[in-house]
Amino acid sequence: MENPRLSRRRFLLGSGAALGVAARPRAARAQARRGQIIAGLSERMLTLDPANHYSISSTSVLRHVYDPLLDVTNDDKFVPALAESWKAVNNTTWRFTLRRGVRFHDGTPFTADSVLFTLKRVRDNTKLIKSFVYQDIEEVRKDDDYTVTVTTKRPFGSLPAHLTMLGMLPPGAAGNEDAFFGKPVGTGPFRFVSWTHGDHVDLEANAPYWKPSLPKVEKLTVRFIPELSTRAAALRAGEIHVIDRVWPDMVQTLKTTPGIKVLDTPAVEAQRWHFQLAREAGKDPRVRHAVSLAIDRNTIIKELLLGYARPVVSPIPPGLIGHTNLGQKPYDPDKARAILKQAGYQNLTLDFVLMKDLYPKQLEIAQAVAAMLSDVGIKVNIRNLEIATAREQRTAGNYDLFFSGWAHMPHDPDWYFGQWFTKAGAEKLTRFSDPRVEQLIAEGRVPDPRMRQQKYEEIEKILWEEEPEIWPYYSVAIYAISDKLRNFEARRDYYVLLNEVGIA
Amino acid sequence: MHAYVLRRVWQSAVTLIGVSILVFVILRVIPGDPAKMLLPEGAPESAVEALNRHLGLREPLWVQYGIFLRSVVRGDFGQSFQYRAPALRVVVERVPATIQLALSAMALTVLLGVSIGIVAAVRQGSAYDYAGTVLAVLGQSLPNFWLGIMLMLLFGVTLRWLPTSGFHGWQSLVLPSVTLAAFPTALVARLTRSSLLEILGQEYIRTGRAKGLGEPRVILRHALKNATIPLLTVLGLQIGTLLGGAVITESIFAWPGMGKLVVDAIFFRDFPVVQTILILSATIFVVINLLVDLLYTVIDPRIRYG
Repeated sequence: MENPRLSRRRFLLGSGAALGVAARPRAARAQARRGQIIAGLSERMLTLDPANHYSISSTSVLRHVYDPLLDVTNDDKFVPALAESWKAVNNTTWRFTLRRGVRFHDGTPFTADSVLFTLKRVRDNTKLIKSFVYQDIEEVRKDDDYTVTVTTKRPFGSLPAHLTMLGMLPPGAAGNEDAFFGKPVGTGPFRFVSWTHGDHVDLEANAPYWKPSLPKVEKLTVRFIPELSTRAAALRAGEIHVIDRVWPDMVQTLKTTPGIKVLDTPAVEAQRWHFQLAREAGKDPRVRHAVSLAIDRNTIIKELLLGYARPVVSPIPPGLIGHTNLGQKPYDPDKARAILKQAGYQNLTLDFVLMKDLYPKQLEIAQAVAAMLSDVGIKVNIRNLEIATAREQRTAGNYDLFFSGWAHMPHDPDWYFGQWFTKAGAEKLTRFSDPRVEQLIAEGRVPDPRMRQQKYEEIEKILWEEEPEIWPYYSVAIYAISDKLRNFEARRDYYVLLNEVGIA
Repeated sequence: MHAYVLRRVWQSAVTLIGVSILVFVILRVIPGDPAKMLLPEGAPESAVEALNRHLGLREPLWVQYGIFLRSVVRGDFGQSFQYRAPALRVVVERVPATIQLALSAMALTVLLGVSIGIVAAVRQGSAYDYAGTVLAVLGQSLPNFWLGIMLMLLFGVTLRWLPTSGFHGWQSLVLPSVTLAAFPTALVARLTRSSLLEILGQEYIRTGRAKGLGEPRVILRHALKNATIPLLTVLGLQIGTLLGGAVITESIFAWPGMGKLVVDAIFFRDFPVVQTILILSATIFVVINLLVDLLYTVIDPRIRYG
């Protein structure tokens, strides 16, 4: 208890920028911050490098250690973090004004140099997993210590959104990255303490955090417990305070356990089962419509997902830029039969490929779909394959329908459209190609949100009509927490963020 | 004897080279693209290609194997694709948890299995014998995942005597060890019972009793020592298996051991980690088997190899 306070005092004395914070009564601050939260996450963390993963659990841990330039709220608003403000100067130029008085955990100040280092590193080191997203960056320029201008090769309207997923690094990390990521420093509300690989990460409060009253606890431990039943048992035994990725059929058990609350929220994820558009079945829009008409989405949502999913009204889930209400797809097996009959299809067989154990209840859902489709005369061949094999089969084009979901990270649909509905992106996936859509996607990359909304609505109308995918439901994110937690927010992006959470 | 040892060591080395080739080739011919598993679903094909090149996977197979073999000799097993860290380090970090679990499960197995076996054999046909048989049948037939979850719910959630999962302190070792030991304990108990019964019927045991040796001495010194031979073989194999990791038990108890690591590495096509684990565990397996073979000659002087 003593040491952090001493070092905080020493730090505050030396930092003019933090005078406002220093003026707050110390006793009140100490009182506000107490206790330890232990979270149990479903995936193991793989790395401490924020640019080298797209794992949700790694983000959940690292968001506590590093701050990004921007944050995204649970209602999809982009808000300042290390950037106080940002604006699009023109279609290919973004300017970021940085927050002053922020320091890394080792005391070095956060300035434009950090942004330059972080952005250039992720763009230039193509071994980094996030590198491909930043290839459109042309130049990162330091205007002064607290202003950075980013120019891009083509409009990059989703850049601010992507930056919510990129923690800022101190430029001092250059040249000794191995050592740095062994014990990383960020500007975040928690300092890194230790990582027992495959088991847990320990973090401790960063007392002079730039958001004065945060964090609310002294210690944060994140345990990695991939098995849901084990995660739930640890929560029920009182060993941990929050778990993610609860499946619908576990909800009842948890709800009836005293001291545990179950929270759910519509996720940024839409399930979308895509057709292979170069194969006989998927090529014919009449078959796609018939399949769509034959699937009783509401039954899947109600009976198999126990209500933990939402009906789809457009490819983009509500809340995100581009969402529009195009009305639910109807369930009409008679019409489906008529279409197939008219088109002359008899004994049609579809290969429905699943990536084993990836989505809640997926096998049961696929079996239900197989029954629904057999009702209209389509035989479904369910192929439940190990993930890497399934993906390989998809690249090779050996499927008719592929069970998959898309979490619209980073709360923006540009990635989804760019990947699945451009010729280059879809070439090894669905073989989708439509010049109209491609054009609209390019036009929708501009920074202007009104323009983007308009273009995306046009794209969605085309897709809704053509049905290159079946959108069965929007996913719901379910968490369970101890009732000792205060201020916990069930995130729609599946993150477990505890920066502002306290414990009784 | 020396010639025998030399020959066995040479055979072991050949086995290991064979294992390394097999592992290397099988990993690369099964479908699945490591770069695709690393990158998110929405990564463009160019990024997949570039990453595969970075990972050295675009070289011909024999070139990859050559590079691999050269590095392994220097103690470098390559970089883990998933963890972005040396594969050997990733694996070695899991060794303490793996060994702790294996050894405590082994200790339970020997202690409980042999004791139950002895009691059942000595009191053949008694209630103890039947109880032992029931335990042995249960131990061998209850699936690990069921037993593990039941133990966790009873001792972790309901009674709260022990932690449900994780790797911290001896308390967290209890439930996974018991779960893991259930099967081999049953095996060892049955084996001890049957081989002890066989030996107890032999003439030298009768001679021992006739010359007035106490019952404990007859059973422990004369009978058990001879009953140990088949046990050693089974235990040697079990140790190898346990050290190689116990996937299901590790998964249930979120135990950071080697078993779960290798399964995840296979799913994610993290070749260097799979290679490291398989080659290391093959080495352990081969060495232990070698030691067991050599131990035979120490325990039973009648066994001699030319």
